[in-house]
Amino acid sequence: MYNEVSVFVENKPGKLSHIAELLGSAEIDILAIEVADDGQFGVLKILTSEPDRAWEVLSAANMTVAITKVACIEIQDMPGGLLKLAKALEAANLNVTDAYGCILERGKRAAFVVKGDNLEAIEAAARSAGLQPIESLG
Amino acid sequence: MIDGVDKTGTFYEQMPRNELESFQSKALIRTVARAAQSQYYSNKFKENGLDVNDIKSRDDIVKLPFTTKEDLRLSYPTGMLAVSPMEVVRMHTSSGTTGKPTAIFHSQEDIDNWSELMARCLAMAGATANDVFQNMTGYGLFTGGLGLHYGAERLGMWVIPAGAGNTTRQIMLIRDFGVNVIHATPSYAMHVAERMVQDGDDPRSLGIKIAVLGAEPYSEEMRLKLQDLYGFTAFNSYGLSEMNGPGVGFECPYQNGMHVWEDSYLVEVINPETLQPVAEGEVGELVLTTLRRKAMPIIRYRTRDLTRVLPDECPCGRKHIRLARMLGRSDDMLIVRGVNVFPSQIEEVIMQHSWIGGNYVIYLTRKESLDQMVVKVEIAPGAFDGSIDTLRYRRTELQHQLKDQVGFNVGVEVMEPGSLPVSEGKAKRVIDERGV
Repeated sequence: MYNEVSVFVENKPGKLSHIAELLGSAEIDILAIEVADDGQFGVLKILTSEPDRAWEVLSAANMTVAITKVACIEIQDMPGGLLKLAKALEAANLNVTDAYGCILERGKRAAFVVKGDNLEAIEAAARSAGLQPIESLG
Repeated sequence: MIDGVDKTGTFYEQMPRNELESFQSKALIRTVARAAQSQYYSNKFKENGLDVNDIKSRDDIVKLPFTTKEDLRLSYPTGMLAVSPMEVVRMHTSSGTTGKPTAIFHSQEDIDNWSELMARCLAMAGATANDVFQNMTGYGLFTGGLGLHYGAERLGMWVIPAGAGNTTRQIMLIRDFGVNVIHATPSYAMHVAERMVQDGDDPRSLGIKIAVLGAEPYSEEMRLKLQDLYGFTAFNSYGLSEMNGPGVGFECPYQNGMHVWEDSYLVEVINPETLQPVAEGEVGELVLTTLRRKAMPIIRYRTRDLTRVLPDECPCGRKHIRLARMLGRSDDMLIVRGVNVFPSQIEEVIMQHSWIGGNYVIYLTRKESLDQMVVKVEIAPGAFDGSIDTLRYRRTELQHQLKDQVGFNVGVEVMEPGSLPVSEGKAKRVIDERGV
């Protein structure tokens, strides 16, 4: 399982750049970012190789931050790369409701990030298909 | 009795009902005679054809004219002064939350009496000369600061006049000097607790046992939340600068209604429209007459605070009547879409949620000639679990509860902690941008 960093933000101009600036000046690399928006407020999901340090940097700047567990499965970055995982999840009868992907190494490795309350089952299904859950992105 | 001297007016505090009432009668006669020395009341009595000799007992209070805030303004600056300016040792002004301030004068005797009442309140809450007291409100013209300060000194407490603000220093002083009694506005006490929680600290570790909370209306839910955060017992305090300031009404350890010191104040509850007394125990406007004030007696002052007298005797044994928590100041009442709404009703709902921090603001706007109410709440430090669904669910739940409470749709905005303005004096909870 992997730690994803969530930030609660009021929907106002400048919020994203503030976060980008904080992480940038702390030299924390953002691998993927997802914005869930509800009009007046939103939640930013950040995938980084240093989630704990990102949490510290953002908390120290008085941002509202949480760490949530996600299943981060390594897949091949090539056409059909996702299929292997998708088939495995289908075979295990697992439904994916909230997910995103990102490239780790162009043409070689990518990560598929899945959320939900059945993370262990998702990781087990991936393993059974020969795919590895990522524990570290460092 | 402390050191053989009655510092807190125990004599008055323990008076049986019949003695208290006969004392009130004598005190009222003296008050009216004193008031007649002021330009304002001397004219007022003449206008009303009132002979001060007609006032023979407390029941004759109904023969006397009411005094309103407007009367105080019109007699500004010294029209209600009833003694020679030489006798005045201090003045205060009202906070001006509802317009121009009004000036209140005190003689040395008045300050002594006020200190006695305040000391009586603190002693009733369980404070003693062995305790260390930190006064966390502003000083100056605001009566809360100096009022509590003098009372605590009178009781012999170790007093730290910290004043308002500078949260880091407040926490340091509490820790370094073993403060166990504090005075603060509820919103500031909440702010300090939230700051501590945010910093990974526990307000309970401060070891405060008694908190005097006042100067702004707040709900029972807010009290319970603060008691839970700090582990102290919070005592409601009622006062207004026209009646000295704090020390008019105060809770005993039963925390069920505030005892009004009837040796110093004559209490009436009236229907604000007919000006007639309400039936026993009914809600109405609180009207107070000073009974011991010398420099500036005020007769039948219409406080505009809505409350009721609690029936039955208090189990604590004191015979001084108890007032229910103020329902609101009649000028705090909002009329939204024709519905009467008190900010305290909104607070009551908000404070039931542990995911919400202590600060909130009610915004009123008008859209296509329809009033819109939006309540902005801050997410409590540590309450964010990373999920937008949780936030949506909580917001919807709160919207439903607010609608149930006031009867129309209320918008809810969820804010980051610390994003709403914090005030160190009276919290500004309502921003009305509807214009006229």
